[in-house]
Amino acid sequence: MDQDIREYQAQNECGQPGRNDGYQVKLEIFEGPLDLLLFLIRKKKIDIHDIPIAVITRDYLEYLEKKDQINLDREAEFLFIAALLIYIKSQMLLPREQEVLAEDDPRKILVDRLLEYQKVKAACSILREKEENELLQWKRTFMPPISRPDDLDLLEVNLFDLAETFFLLMKRKERENLQVIKGKDITIEEKLKEIVSLLQKNGSMDFLDYFSSQETLEEALVAFFGLLELIKNRTVVAVQEQLFQTIRVWLRKDRHHHHSAHGLSHE
Amino acid sequence: MNNQLKAILEVLIFISQEPLTLGKIKEVLGEVPEEELQAALKSLQTDYASDERGIQIIQTAGGYLFSTKSDHDQWVRRLLQIEKKSRLSSASLETLSIIAYHQPITQAEVSAIRGVDSTYCLKTLLQKKLIKIVGRKKAPGNPLIYRTSDKFLQYFGLNSLEDLPREEEIAKILEEENQSIS
Repeated sequence: MDQDIREYQAQNECGQPGRNDGYQVKLEIFEGPLDLLLFLIRKKKIDIHDIPIAVITRDYLEYLEKKDQINLDREAEFLFIAALLIYIKSQMLLPREQEVLAEDDPRKILVDRLLEYQKVKAACSILREKEENELLQWKRTFMPPISRPDDLDLLEVNLFDLAETFFLLMKRKERENLQVIKGKDITIEEKLKEIVSLLQKNGSMDFLDYFSSQETLEEALVAFFGLLELIKNRTVVAVQEQLFQTIRVWLRKDRHHHHSAHGLSHE
Repeated sequence: MNNQLKAILEVLIFISQEPLTLGKIKEVLGEVPEEELQAALKSLQTDYASDERGIQIIQTAGGYLFSTKSDHDQWVRRLLQIEKKSRLSSASLETLSIIAYHQPITQAEVSAIRGVDSTYCLKTLLQKKLIKIVGRKKAPGNPLIYRTSDKFLQYFGLNSLEDLPREEEIAKILEEENQSIS
């Protein structure tokens, strides 16, 4: 159902009428039931404060009846207003002893909504003009980043790329580290400092190389978690130059030593 | 006229990609008499308003910003190879203007005014950063409350929400429409 609405909206976004069905195209040029009502009222040159409910209800229903079956997902809103119209019409037919006061006019709920909606439409037309005008004035923020040829193939890696690399390396490490020498405990914090200072010195690093250079599996693990942490707090950015190639890590230029600012749980 | 001050202001506005507020300018410059500052800004704007200039200094979203003048749109597009900038859909525009006038407002309230479910529109407007979520309403279901963002002001070239089309302007449009049909 959501999918349907989304499709309908997406079609609206492009300004294209949806399906080929003649009726639907007609409905879709209206933003909603109120838009359709306003259109009918204007077409008949009716005073919005004194709507001949019988006439408008008939016209409105005619629009809905042109279709054999009604798609409830998309037209429930149109049906709701139809029900409201019929309700008002029935209220109007009730015999009354006295002249109806303006406040008691059953049409009031509808008229108020229409007047409000009409205002929205008018405001939209002014805003649209402003938008058009503004789109002609270019700001520097609209400038696309100047593309350098060497930038073209850089992809910021996502978690899955990293995880994949991680498991690959784990396998490699497992094979290498047959004898593990115990006794050296490394905290994530130490690793973070190490990575950041390496980056500060060298500008960037090849994460695969760095990972392989770790002495033990445990240390490698800590290094990986450290990298995740640094990516998460946006101290560094991990970039893959091309698919299936090495992952390079860079310090983000706009951030300074955020690694120490975050309270990290110790190992 | 303090030409030094003018030059500095020009630099500050040039360097800022977001509208540079008066507050920020004062923060940078320190003690400069308000009148002098205003005069320098005004004079700078006048300089750029000259026909010999392709760029201008506009006041938008409560700050000063460099922008190109409308007349040269086609040249920018040629350089950047952009056919036409995309505009908001009418559904989005409708939703946005309701939020602008009725904020803070919930999804259900927007939908009620439009007579159409507006969940999807709100989502796209959020993605475009034209609106923001400012909290939850203390009502059944604790619905999210929306407001327009600074980017909204910038998008429509408004300096503040007070620059939104006024009741009289709207009434005028409605009147014109009425006359055109009768």
